[in-house]
Amino acid sequence: MSFPQRKAAIVGVYNTKQAKMLEGTPWTLALEAIQGALDDAGLKHSDIDGLSSMMYDASLTAQQMWVEQLGGRPMTYTSHGIAGALVTKAAATIAAGLTNVVCIYFGNAGMRAGPSKQRAAAEAAPVIRKAPRVPDWDFNIHGAYMSAWYALWTRRYMDQFNAPYENLAEYPVIARYHATLNPASLMGERGEITVQDVIDSPMISSPLHRLDCSLDNDGGYAILVASAEVAKNCRKDPVWVLGGGEGIYTDFYMSFTDDWINDNGQSVRRASDIAFAGAGVTRDDIDVTGMYDCFPVTMARNIEEMGFCKVGEGHEYIKEGHLKLGGKLPTNTDGGLLSHSHCGNPSGMHVVEVVKQLRGECDARQVKDAKIGAVLSQGYAVHGVAGVAILGKD
Amino acid sequence: MTQPYNKPLPQRSPENEPFWAGLENREFRIPKCNDCGHWNWVPYPACRNCLSTDQDWALTDGKGKIFSYTVVHRGPGGFRDDVPYVLAMVEFPVGARTPIVLGTMVDVDPDAVHTGMPVKVVYEDIEGEGVTIWHFAPDA
Ligand SMILES: [Zn+2]
Repeated sequence: MSFPQRKAAIVGVYNTKQAKMLEGTPWTLALEAIQGALDDAGLKHSDIDGLSSMMYDASLTAQQMWVEQLGGRPMTYTSHGIAGALVTKAAATIAAGLTNVVCIYFGNAGMRAGPSKQRAAAEAAPVIRKAPRVPDWDFNIHGAYMSAWYALWTRRYMDQFNAPYENLAEYPVIARYHATLNPASLMGERGEITVQDVIDSPMISSPLHRLDCSLDNDGGYAILVASAEVAKNCRKDPVWVLGGGEGIYTDFYMSFTDDWINDNGQSVRRASDIAFAGAGVTRDDIDVTGMYDCFPVTMARNIEEMGFCKVGEGHEYIKEGHLKLGGKLPTNTDGGLLSHSHCGNPSGMHVVEVVKQLRGECDARQVKDAKIGAVLSQGYAVHGVAGVAILGKD
Repeated sequence: MTQPYNKPLPQRSPENEPFWAGLENREFRIPKCNDCGHWNWVPYPACRNCLSTDQDWALTDGKGKIFSYTVVHRGPGGFRDDVPYVLAMVEFPVGARTPIVLGTMVDVDPDAVHTGMPVKVVYEDIEGEGVTIWHFAPDA
């Protein structure tokens, strides 16, 4: 069964400025991103008739407010989730004739994901207060948070496959190198780093050091997926959605079993196999990728689950430099979540970068003759939710 | 006066009451399916394996081994002053798909923690909050 070919394309993408603190609200940053993507595509807000929210509040009622904001007339599609899957589902829905132009959007201002936000809240609170009550199995009871969860994953991975930490620590080095070639990145101007720099950075949650961890900043982005009919009149060449898939399993960082990392794969494997089969392309056909890279182990597991190497060998693949510009699988050429931006719910930015690569808009970090790209979004429990999109140009 | 407990605590939902009451009695219970024998952690109203709602809060011996661990050096909220602390995922060897339970380690040298380490559940009654929570300690 193949995915409907060349029925829908990404026609507009836009990242707002990404920075530690930005003026505005989540709404105004998302709005700025949508306006930027519309300009990029040469479309008007009244052309949008489908919405895929990546906002922290992606409820149906919140989406209705965006329908009002973007024209105050009936739209015909709404969805939420992570970007790779949203691109895929938008394309499939467009191919089915239910909608024509889907806008995927996100904006965030002032909502830190990491402990710094919670610390500020704790310091602002009165000295004497009741312990906050949370759902029975909530990981916050045990002092876990995102970096600690990925530290647990990293330790398990290292022990299960005898993977040296130093191999994984090569990934932040690659990401920073890419960021130095991306003027919009948060960390590029700080220059390149070495594995020793990663090891020497403060320990956050062992074995993860600060330079292993995602940034935590403000920003927004938007992506427009449109029908072939709309795409042919857009400002830039279409980037076709060739295939894609979604995978979802496990609850939000609560349930795990001892077969957590296994040869049969989990949700990323499911989404990837569906995506490659539907697109009719092989792993070897991929010229450039954007993969959700919140920590080095995520990247190691991404390439294993997507089938670019065997389970347990991702750390060697990283060490061998294949993900670097000039390597066989250039990945996250914008600097990714470690050195470009992690604006809170950032999976759409991997789509934006791959689209720019396929259009040839990446200047110093351009992958030569990039024709087919792959995007992987993941999260909501380590490799819990997965979204894959295979993109190609004419 | 001692500082009040300021970390998140479980809401102690009525449907999980046998579990929380068990902790008060120094018992660590995991739902076990009476139809297929599958152990279900975290608990849900029905068995993951066969969807039966006939589950018992089966008593475990509270012993497991470390599946993975981390020494946290930067803690969130009320945990900020506890660093460094050890967070562990612990396997309970009860079934085909072994459930893994998250918890902090107490009475342990962080440098001595390792994957595969035998541990046991220990209990902490939270004064004035009407709830007991669990941790893990080395099982010597
Ligand atoms: Zn059952």
